[in-house]
Amino acid sequence: MDDLITEAWDARDVILGGLLQTLSISALAIVLGTLLGVLVGVALVYGAWPLRLAARAYADVMRGTPVLVLVLAAFYMPAVLGLHLQPFAAGVLALTLFCGAHIGELIRGALGSIPRGQTEAAKAVGLTFFGVLAHVLLPQALRSLLPPWINTCVEMVKASTLLSVIGVGELLLRTQEIIGRNFMTLQFYLLVGALYLVVNFAIEQAGKALERRVAFR
Amino acid sequence: MPAISKVLSTGAAVVALSLAFIATAEADGKLQEVLARGKLIVGTGSTNPPWGFQDKGGKLVGFDIDLAHIIAKGLFNDPAKVEFVTQSSDARIPNITTGQVDMTCQAMTVTAPRAQQVAFTIPYYREGVALLLKKGGKYADHAALKAAGAGVTVSVLQNVYAEDMVHQALPDAKVDQFDNVGLMYQALNSGRADAAATDASSLRWFMKQNPDRYVDAGYGWNPQNYACAVKQGDADWLNFVNTAIEQALTGVDYGDYKTAYETWFGVTPPAPAIGFPR
Repeated sequence: MDDLITEAWDARDVILGGLLQTLSISALAIVLGTLLGVLVGVALVYGAWPLRLAARAYADVMRGTPVLVLVLAAFYMPAVLGLHLQPFAAGVLALTLFCGAHIGELIRGALGSIPRGQTEAAKAVGLTFFGVLAHVLLPQALRSLLPPWINTCVEMVKASTLLSVIGVGELLLRTQEIIGRNFMTLQFYLLVGALYLVVNFAIEQAGKALERRVAFR
Repeated sequence: MPAISKVLSTGAAVVALSLAFIATAEADGKLQEVLARGKLIVGTGSTNPPWGFQDKGGKLVGFDIDLAHIIAKGLFNDPAKVEFVTQSSDARIPNITTGQVDMTCQAMTVTAPRAQQVAFTIPYYREGVALLLKKGGKYADHAALKAAGAGVTVSVLQNVYAEDMVHQALPDAKVDQFDNVGLMYQALNSGRADAAATDASSLRWFMKQNPDRYVDAGYGWNPQNYACAVKQGDADWLNFVNTAIEQALTGVDYGDYKTAYETWFGVTPPAPAIGFPR
């Protein structure tokens, strides 16, 4: 135990750096993925058929492919075309595309569950399409959207570990590097396992607080 | 709908492939590209001491790292002009073939099947398996272990071939497999095993970090040549890297190679003989 404390203290900067990478990758993927997801979701429900078809193809390919394959594809496919993405950028791209597809489906479901009468009423009072979306549909969709959205955020933090494969210095790779030096395999995996748990628990708690704020009162 | 997705992804793959051919057709020499860029991009590992790993301060160090610095010195007269791309060992070949790195130096064993996909440089080290003993322990060297026959227990990292590998050197020894290196060394320390069988380089590095506690049994087997690798099809670049490595092994840069060898393996490599150059 003393060994672990000494080694962990020695490696504190490396672990913190890895944690920071994990957090920034996850945050970027969630923010960009959510923006992309809103576009995809709206396209899936209201798009003209070519747009709907493209959004459907995107969502199906991304959701039907393992995240690891997406990560490798985002790193190697652009390189084949002569565009050399840094591992960090390739990783954020892969997670954003994955996140966007999932959130697109969440938005489609949430929009689809709002009775048609709402749209008709909103149009009847003269709102434009984007007005209906912004003032009537999306605010209502938000309530049913939040719990699965928080779940997707947690999944993104966990999926970020896969970026260790392409050499992004996130928490898991940094841990593997520390273990490579001091051979304390089990101890350090347990330590970072606990760190991931703390991060995800914090996200869930923040999500619950957010849910309470937007709940019907 | 899935059928349409499939058509779309196949289409994308076809476009990607055809663009790839255009990209390779217009590429000119890698040597000129690297010189113009002003830095060398080297793929390497970060979890495998003493080849490429992070020291306590989070700095990438190791024998492969030092070798890359020697090559950068040959290119720019400045060993610091290297950018390292850390990669898992699975990524070594794809990162070369897709051009993510100029070269890879990552404890890579030369094999004929791999040589069909990448171009290997000349080897810079020969890895093997060696036996670690406790200093002043029951057995002094390999001969003593072998003479003791079935009375000897050898700890080894878990592997499909581990049992056969140990039996090549000690035909009657009992083999205890462990699923991580720490446990393997621990078995030796606690006396559960009489010797630990591991890569010669790991053994050397471990002995260097724990001076006066262990001895090498003095027997190595299972040879594997380690070489850097570059993309196929660029003879000038391969020749440049080969020349740089050859001069580190036997020529003007031998001093740098020697320093690196002593740093990571704790022993001095044989000095190049003056006169006949082989």
